[in-house]
Amino acid sequence: MLNVEKIVKNYGDFRLDVSFEIPDGTVTGIVGKNGAGKSTTIKLILGLIRPDEGHVYINGKEASQLSGKDKQELGVALSESGFSSYLCIKDIIVILRKMYPDFDEKFFTDNCNIQKLPFDKKIKEFSTGMRAKLRVLVAISHKAKLLIMDEPTAGLDVEARNDILDLLRKYLADNEDCSILLTSHISSDLEGLCDDVYLLNDGKIILHEDTDTILSNYGVIKVDEEMYEKLDKTLILSSRKDHYGYQCFTNDRKFYAENYPGIVIENGSIDDLILMMTGGK
Amino acid sequence: MHIILNNTSMVPIYEQLIDQIKNEIISGSLKENEVLPSVRTLSSELRISALTVKKAYDRLEEEGFVVTVHGKGTYVAATDQKLAMEARRKAIEDDFAMIIDKARAIGFEKDEIMEIVKIILEDH
Repeated sequence: MLNVEKIVKNYGDFRLDVSFEIPDGTVTGIVGKNGAGKSTTIKLILGLIRPDEGHVYINGKEASQLSGKDKQELGVALSESGFSSYLCIKDIIVILRKMYPDFDEKFFTDNCNIQKLPFDKKIKEFSTGMRAKLRVLVAISHKAKLLIMDEPTAGLDVEARNDILDLLRKYLADNEDCSILLTSHISSDLEGLCDDVYLLNDGKIILHEDTDTILSNYGVIKVDEEMYEKLDKTLILSSRKDHYGYQCFTNDRKFYAENYPGIVIENGSIDDLILMMTGGK
Repeated sequence: MHIILNNTSMVPIYEQLIDQIKNEIISGSLKENEVLPSVRTLSSELRISALTVKKAYDRLEEEGFVVTVHGKGTYVAATDQKLAMEARRKAIEDDFAMIIDKARAIGFEKDEIMEIVKIILEDH
């Protein structure tokens, strides 16, 4: 579905250098701290900025060569909706109808009603949550095959986040072959939605793993100094000294649970992954 | 289908899923030829990744509990009661093996392990 081949972008002393692939029908997340290069990656894929090197292929076609028709198959939600804030949903419907031959007006209006988005209020009067819902609804209302979302849930409360994730889940259930690329730094969003996750740090991908594997095999081991010395460290990805001892991040918690009975091991999460893999030692 | 997942359990989500679907099949609440929800539907309902569901379905197919027909869906396979019991027995054996490994790792001998089992059996 999407192929990113050695794409490079230099901004002063920041260098982004990434390659990855999203197969048909998968949901991929890009995680990383602020400034890691997540949004730059998204902008490069969409051709909003030009790469210094490398290629992006969408369905086998170089991204810069996509025709208007090819672009119909993309659904995009960035941090700004792209519509003038003086428009209201009624106006946006007219625009979407012209822009996308496959625009599903019924789906769009039904969902606006479900999410309680007013049709004749200007977008500038919308709350953050309402704007975020509108952005996602616009992206999923024309039967796109590939959805690209930059922080679709940033700055939202738990309920609004859940509404948005449920919209995406429903879209996936109804369109089995569609793929999603999304960035987020809220790990619970990614854990319940993404099939795999790329960890981006300082412009580079430092880890790629199935979400399922992270949740079922990774873990954080907590030991005192004495125990730390004795610990077999071959399956420890990173360790960090704490006031009471050490925290060790492993990709095989079962090994430690079996070989060191009684040791404290917590299940790994994407938050731990970011903290332990990108933080200082 | 009733599935309750525990996100804080040490048991991986896909294993919890496999166990619960197996139990539904063995107990007969999921009947032969009944269609299971699609991977995406179940992942959406349970709020877990589609890959996790797929992994569980694949394992259930390997073990002969379900059959996937491409483009159609995943169905409950003809349940052989003997096979089902066998699977349960195997699961129990695996659990015992795990506990015994654990006990051995901290130095328990065979007699001590048997002693513990006896005491617990008497209490239940």
